[in-house]
This record gives sequence, C-alpha cells and structure tokens, in this order.
Amino acid sequence: MSDLYLSHIRNWFWKSPPAEWVMRGARDLLIGTLKQGPIPKHVAFEMDGNRRFAKNHKIETIEGHHLGFEALARVLEICYKCGVKVVTVYAFSIENFNRPRGEVKGLMALAKVKLEQLVQHGELLDRYGACIRVLGERDLIPDDVLPFVDRAVEMTKHNKDAVLNICFPYTSRAEMTSAIKATIDEFTSPSPPSKAPFSQTRITQKIRSNYSKRTEPLGSIRESSPDASAKSDLDDSMSSTTALDPESPKSEPAATKPRKFPNPENITVDTINGHTYTAECPPLDIFIRTSNVTRLSDFMLWQCHENTHIFFLSCFWPEFDLWHFVPVLLEWQWRQKKLLEKESSRK
Amino acid sequence: MSFTTKDTKLYREDEKSGHRRLRPEQREALAKNYLPEPPSRERSSSRAKTQSHFGVRRLVKAQIYTLLYLFVHAIFSLYIRIRSGYRAVSSRVVSILRHHYNSPEYIARDVATLPRLPNHLSIILTLENGGKGDALEKLVNEVSEVAAWCAAAGIPTLSVYEKTGVLKRYMSQTHRSVCQRLKVWFGKHQVPSLALFARGAPAIRSHHRQGLDLILVSEDDGREAMVDLTRVLTEMVQKEKIAADDITADVIDNELSEAVMREPDLLISFEPYVDLQGYPPWVIRLTEIYCAPDNQGVGYQLFLQALRKFAQATFKLGK
Repeated sequence: MSDLYLSHIRNWFWKSPPAEWVMRGARDLLIGTLKQGPIPKHVAFEMDGNRRFAKNHKIETIEGHHLGFEALARVLEICYKCGVKVVTVYAFSIENFNRPRGEVKGLMALAKVKLEQLVQHGELLDRYGACIRVLGERDLIPDDVLPFVDRAVEMTKHNKDAVLNICFPYTSRAEMTSAIKATIDEFTSPSPPSKAPFSQTRITQKIRSNYSKRTEPLGSIRESSPDASAKSDLDDSMSSTTALDPESPKSEPAATKPRKFPNPENITVDTINGHTYTAECPPLDIFIRTSNVTRLSDFMLWQCHENTHIFFLSCFWPEFDLWHFVPVLLEWQWRQKKLLEKESSRK
Repeated sequence: MSFTTKDTKLYREDEKSGHRRLRPEQREALAKNYLPEPPSRERSSSRAKTQSHFGVRRLVKAQIYTLLYLFVHAIFSLYIRIRSGYRAVSSRVVSILRHHYNSPEYIARDVATLPRLPNHLSIILTLENGGKGDALEKLVNEVSEVAAWCAAAGIPTLSVYEKTGVLKRYMSQTHRSVCQRLKVWFGKHQVPSLALFARGAPAIRSHHRQGLDLILVSEDDGREAMVDLTRVLTEMVQKEKIAADDITADVIDNELSEAVMREPDLLISFEPYVDLQGYPPWVIRLTEIYCAPDNQGVGYQLFLQALRKFAQATFKLGK
C-alpha cells in the first residue's frame, strides 16, 4: 500500500469519534494533573508564524490568519481549564501597518467579525467571568473597528475571573512612553488640598502649650507663636505626602507660586508601573513566542524584564496545541520548585 | 485536536458563509461542549449535600491526579537530567576538539564564514553565591574571556549585564584584568585598546585608538534609570522648560541610549533558561536572544553558536 493510502487511513483513524473521545479524555487528564502544581497567573503569547505556515501549506495568507484564530481559541480553552487568570496576546503591532494593504484590511475585517460575534455572547461571558480588554494605542484603530472594540470592552468590564488582553495595535515602547507621560501628567497637575483631618496649627499650639505648662517662666516661646501660626496656615494646603517633609517650602507668599506640584522625587518604579496598560494584572510569569524567532519584538518589554520565564518555540502559531504547551508548563513548574528550594536553603 | 472534526467543519462552513448558517444560540451550544462547569457563586445547602454524596469519588479522583502529577514530574526530571548529562558530556568533547588555544587566529577563522556579525553584543552574567568566596574573581575572569573573544572576532562593543553591579565598584581592577588577558591573547604589541564605561562613573581608556568598548550595566540601569529620566522630565515640565506634549518615544530613546546603552544586536544568556534578571527593558526591543538549554557556565562554543544563529536571523520589522 502506498504512503498516500496509509496517511489517509491514519487521518481517518485519528478523526473517528472513539479516537477523538480518547484524546479528549487524555487531554483533560493531563490538564487535571498539571493543575496539582503551581499554575502561572499571567501568560503572554506572541502569535507568530501565520504567514510562514500558510506558505508552507500552500494556502492563502488570510487563511493562515484564520487558522491562527482557531489556535488562539484552543489555547484560551487550555489556559482557562488550567486555571490561568490572565492571558495576553499580541494581535497586531503598530509596525504591522506597513504590511500590504490587502493583508491589513483582511486582518481588520477578521477583528471586526470576531468582535461582533463576541458581543452576541455576552451572557456566556458573564457566566464565566470572562473579561476582554484591548490594550494599545486607541487612536490608531480604524474607525470601522473602533465601535466593536469599545462595545466588547464595555460589556465585559465588570468580570474579573478570566482576563484576555488583546494587544491591538501595540508596541511596548509606545506603552512605556505613554506610561511615562501619564506619570508626568499626574505629577504636573496641581496637587489637591490636603484632605487629612489633622491640622498643623493645632498640633504646634498643643505642643507649645505643653511646653508652657512644664516650664512656666519661659515666655519667649509664647511670643513667637503668632508667627508660627501664620506660617503653618500655608503649610496646611500642602499635599499630605509632603506634610511632614522638613524640606518643603515653608513661607512662600501666595503670589509668586500659585500652584504646588507633588515632589518628583516621589516617583518610583511602582508609579510608572501603575500607568502601564497591564497595571491591574498580576506580574507576567511565562512569555511564549512561536515560529523559532528569538526576539521580543517590542512586546511586553517592561513586564518581562524580571522573573518571567521566556520560551521560544519552534512550531508555528496555527500548530500550537496542548502538546506544545505541556512541556512549557512542566518546565516552568519544575523551575519554580527549584527556585523555592534555593530560597528556602538560603534562609 | 481539541475541537472535534465535526464541530470544526461546522464552524468553518459557518465562517465561510459569513456567519449566516448558525445563529448565536447554536454557536453557544457548540462552544458549550468544550467549556468546563462555570464557577459557582452561590453556596446553597442543597449543593453541599450532593457534594458529600459524591465525596468518595471526588477523593479518589484527587488522589489519582496527585499520583499522576508526581509521576509526570518524576519522568520530566529524569528526562531533564539525562538531557543535561548528555549535553554536558558532548559540549566538553566539542570544546576540547575545537579549542581556540587562546589565539585570535582560530577565532577569526571560525567567524570568517559568517555573513554578518553583531555590532553590539551583550551578555548576562550571574554573580554566584551572593558574592562570597571567589565569585568576584570568577566573574572578572568570565568578563575577560568574553572580551578577548569579542576582540578576536572583531565585535566592537560588548556590554556586560550583572544584576548587582558589583563590577562597577571595581572598575580599575576590571580594566587591568581585561587588559592583561588581551595582552596574553594578542601579544604585547598588537593588543587592542580597551575603553571601560559605566553609567555615572568616568570612562577608563587604555589607548586612544579604536578598540573594544566594554560597558558595564546593572539593575539600576534598567527600570530605575527610566524612573530617573521620568523625574528629570517631570521637573522640566513643572518648571515649564518643555511642554508635556513634546515628549515622544524618540526623546526618551535618545536620552536612554546616550546615558545608559544603545540597543544590542545580540544578547547571550549563559543560564540554562532565558531570564532577563532585570535587564534594561527599553533597549532590548529587537535584540536576538540566544540561550542554550542545559548550558552551564561561560563557554566559547556557546558564543560561536550564538553568532551563527545571529547570522541566520532575518529582520522583517513587522512587515
């Protein structure tokens, strides 16, 4: 029998209902097994290789993208069943606008159709607590796709159990720039008057009266108290963070500096982190890139710079399945165990 | 195959017909086969009763899963051990057979066949044991070795990332040690010049010729440097020296590449897995990252493999 017949028979066997039932059982068993160990909370996928896959299998490029979407659905099912809380995918880069116009239009049409379908299943999404967020530069989304994006995000905003972050269109440098600009905006808007119920004037008066109770003859302190109270009235309007700061300007007359800005020394890594698009998500645990390209290509640069295990796989994205994900997860769990052992041995 | 062939066919037909074949409820029914039980939010007493009824089954299932988990992990550890043992032995054999004998000619011959070399190579090194014992000496040794390879291969810039930045405190000793190693390799009269840079410290140069540029980078040059830049920018906007809208990615890029480091072309990690350990996030945008699983320590063969992989890489930039 020739090879062709053998492969046909093999295909027929694997697609038959009993074989598929066995495979499904095996998959569920495997996922249930891996759930016994540590599970990452946030996984990022860079879905690369659709076009090369299409070329290798002699189909249209846009067909490759459609198969890529099916692979995404598979991966989301696996991740949800494993218990991963947040999945971030790189759907479209700002650099991808340079691709041929037909392909860009096809991708936008794909996005529009899928988002439109998603919007019709609001109740199902609510039942599973699934939330869709679109991260990226909103002003670059074409006008016909924008209402669907907004609708999908609005509809699922309140769910918190399973989050899908679609990065569309996204570049990590643009994200970091916008985070820095948002931080600068936060620190250059005049700080609101202190809402703390504590008053500096009262505190200073009380301390001085304590002094005068203890040491009656010292009348010099009492003379200087009117000046102090005038100064501290201005102090009251400072923001609460600098309320106890000895370096803060004390007796500036109101005319020369009408606005008081928060001190830029208070900017920390957490401040900038709070302005990134993934601020509410847990830190990134696993980063997977397919198609044997070993670059980050402007995806999640800020998030994966520490404590993120980066995997570069050689399969193409439309082929990505549980059998590629399981070794990744196993290695991550094994590495976590080793790190825990190292931590405990160090202590 | 996660989705059955029948369902996949139905889905694809529906898609081809512009989603007119299936109504939303039918699509939901299709998806429902694959979704697990929705997480229950109410805990009513009746549910608790049914749970205790099937408690035995649940317990047995949990035990089976735990056993399987231990079994799968045992097999995996065994596989990893065998693989790393095999790789360690084979890499030792290869490194003995193809040793460079501390001579630049061998290295130049090895890289002569490569169509492309990186202009800026970056490596991540780890300080062992928290710096105790001879860890610092080992680190300086590794830096000197890699610097010698780069000088021999003709790579003009090398940046060394080490998380704690301990080398920044011993810059003159590092410079001396690397120059010593280069002298051993190239001979006293042909030794290339070495310029050692680190952020916030004056540069140390040996001659004023063009030679190898060695940049020391640490965790402070990553996110912390960006925080410092944000502080400076905030002060400038507060004092109204610049407008907030003028700050673009170009401005930030310019500042960071001038002050910290430019984008490396190739990043080599000598750990068995890719962990950036706090490497500066801004510059690593299009850098090829090379890492060999089960690798231990700094070795010349890994360096050569990384250069080979870099030569084969294609840069499409999104197109």
